[in-house]
Amino acid sequence: MTGFALARRTVARYKARTTLAVAGVAIIAALNFDMLLLSRGLLLSFANMIDSAGFDVRVTGSAGLPALRVPVAGAAKLADDIRHMPEVDGVAIVRFEQAFASAPDGRERGISLFGTSEGSTRGGWTIIRGHTIDAGDASDPAGIPPLVISRQLASDFGVEPGSVFRLRAGVAGERSVLPFLSYRVVGIADFSFDTVGGYTVATTLEGFRALEEDRLSDDADVVLVASKPDAGPDAAVAAIARLRPDLHVYSNQEVVEQFNRNGFAYFRQISLVLSTTTALFTVLLVATLLTVSVNQRLGEIAALRAIGISRQRVAAMLLWESALLVGLGGAIALPLGGALAVGLDRILRGMPGLPEQLHFFVFEPRAVVLHAAVLAATGVVAALYPVRLAVTLPIAATLRRELGS
Amino acid sequence: MTIVDAHNLRRVFPMPAGPIEAVRDVSLRVAAGEYVAITGPSGCGKSTLLQLLGCVDTATSGSFSFEGHNIGQLSEVERTRIRLLRIGFVFQRFFLLPMLTAWENIELPQAEARSPAPVRGARTRELLDYVGLADRANHLPSQLSGGEMQRVAIARALANRPALLLADEPTGELDDETGEQVAALFDRVNRDGTAIVLVTHNGPLAARARVRLVMRSGMVVPA
Repeated sequence: MTGFALARRTVARYKARTTLAVAGVAIIAALNFDMLLLSRGLLLSFANMIDSAGFDVRVTGSAGLPALRVPVAGAAKLADDIRHMPEVDGVAIVRFEQAFASAPDGRERGISLFGTSEGSTRGGWTIIRGHTIDAGDASDPAGIPPLVISRQLASDFGVEPGSVFRLRAGVAGERSVLPFLSYRVVGIADFSFDTVGGYTVATTLEGFRALEEDRLSDDADVVLVASKPDAGPDAAVAAIARLRPDLHVYSNQEVVEQFNRNGFAYFRQISLVLSTTTALFTVLLVATLLTVSVNQRLGEIAALRAIGISRQRVAAMLLWESALLVGLGGAIALPLGGALAVGLDRILRGMPGLPEQLHFFVFEPRAVVLHAAVLAATGVVAALYPVRLAVTLPIAATLRRELGS
Repeated sequence: MTIVDAHNLRRVFPMPAGPIEAVRDVSLRVAAGEYVAITGPSGCGKSTLLQLLGCVDTATSGSFSFEGHNIGQLSEVERTRIRLLRIGFVFQRFFLLPMLTAWENIELPQAEARSPAPVRGARTRELLDYVGLADRANHLPSQLSGGEMQRVAIARALANRPALLLADEPTGELDDETGEQVAALFDRVNRDGTAIVLVTHNGPLAARARVRLVMRSGMVVPA
């Protein structure tokens, strides 16, 4: 009979202890699993979000926050030069600006406006109804620029594809000398970077410049580049950097790494501390239960050793017992932690100003593997003291004590 | 053939209030097929002597050989191997594993000895028949009476066909009638060729042994 078989029978025999241990491990391990999901969730979610735009290289005029960056001058020629590079599959010039519109209740509401040179082939949005911007831009009989609006805006403003929507550049509530400009709503979409409770719209570059009354402007806030699959983003970055060394060129991966080093370091540290703490709780719980169990079975263990059962067999039995308790608890922890993560994610995503598609807890197979590895290590560490207690048991003295008691 | 050959065995337990000499200069020889009963008052050193003979404890001084092996020179692993293969233990409180059935308790030392599964199965069946518990094979210890548990413990002790069976107060937890059944089983085990050394307060049980020793204050004295 193997150590595993003995452990399995012991775990089945002492049901109350097993239930207590498994429940405790499940709850603690669920928290640990959530910490693992949290430690990389934002990063993965952010990476997914920027990848979903369909471009893997970004060109900016300077480093730093988007609002503080120097625009890229001569964007049209730059885009044209980049488009002809053998490493490049597509280019989009992107502008962003704050605008506002009058809601049905008469109040002005702020809107994030994007202007892009390429709305049909790629984009940071998914059309739900209607179509995307460049399919209708030239076909509008009145020459009104096309507009794709977010689902939230469509719902709150009661706007449908075909409606005319009036926008004005500037910040809601502040005075502006710029006039309202009419746009034809051609589609309703989910935007990757849409914030909770915020409104987002996208138009063509011409539509964007018209709003700013700066039709001759050739600036870009960012130039997005899609590399060819056989070349990859790194080759495209190198080629663009050679072409324009004065600009800042990043692959999506580099952007994510920058965020990982700066913006998300706190989450990682908090997750590490909490993961270590919860793992320690698991060790203490299982070690305590196993130690109590060994102490209750001292006579039984001494008798096993007396009849010739080896120390290794006794140690294997206890190690497997620990592994079974931690393993069962850890298995239950996965759905439990998953459900908890969904709930916590919903709460955290309710914070204003965050992109709707940004998640704090993101499932990835790596987290399950890490969860299993942490639990395996926990099971072994938790068993160390009880195993030591059992294998160093003085057989004769224990039997004397047990029979004398 | 001599199984146990002990000369001037001493076992001293160091205590805060001063050392206690539990076994004093005991010399003992047990031949194959012998049946020895050791009696004496509580605390006279009977169980300690039995533990020395069973290789679960080591003597403070003196020499002890088991089937020609000088036990004092063997490692713990080697002593464990001897206990597994050549010595059977029967305890007053049975010490069966509560989560294993009677069958599995008897199979356990055979599995430890790496006996092949078919051989184990046949031997376990044979032993359950031998102790009259063939119909209780799949019962847990908690579903057995005291006498039945002790019979399973005896079957477990015989599982690897030991040369010596050691029993420490084997009837101590049993009523007279059940104790008599267990005593009869010991007679049979001995008749079938296994040497037995038991310590007991049970006079009728001791009377069944061919050799009766009495201990007082750690020494073997004339009966």
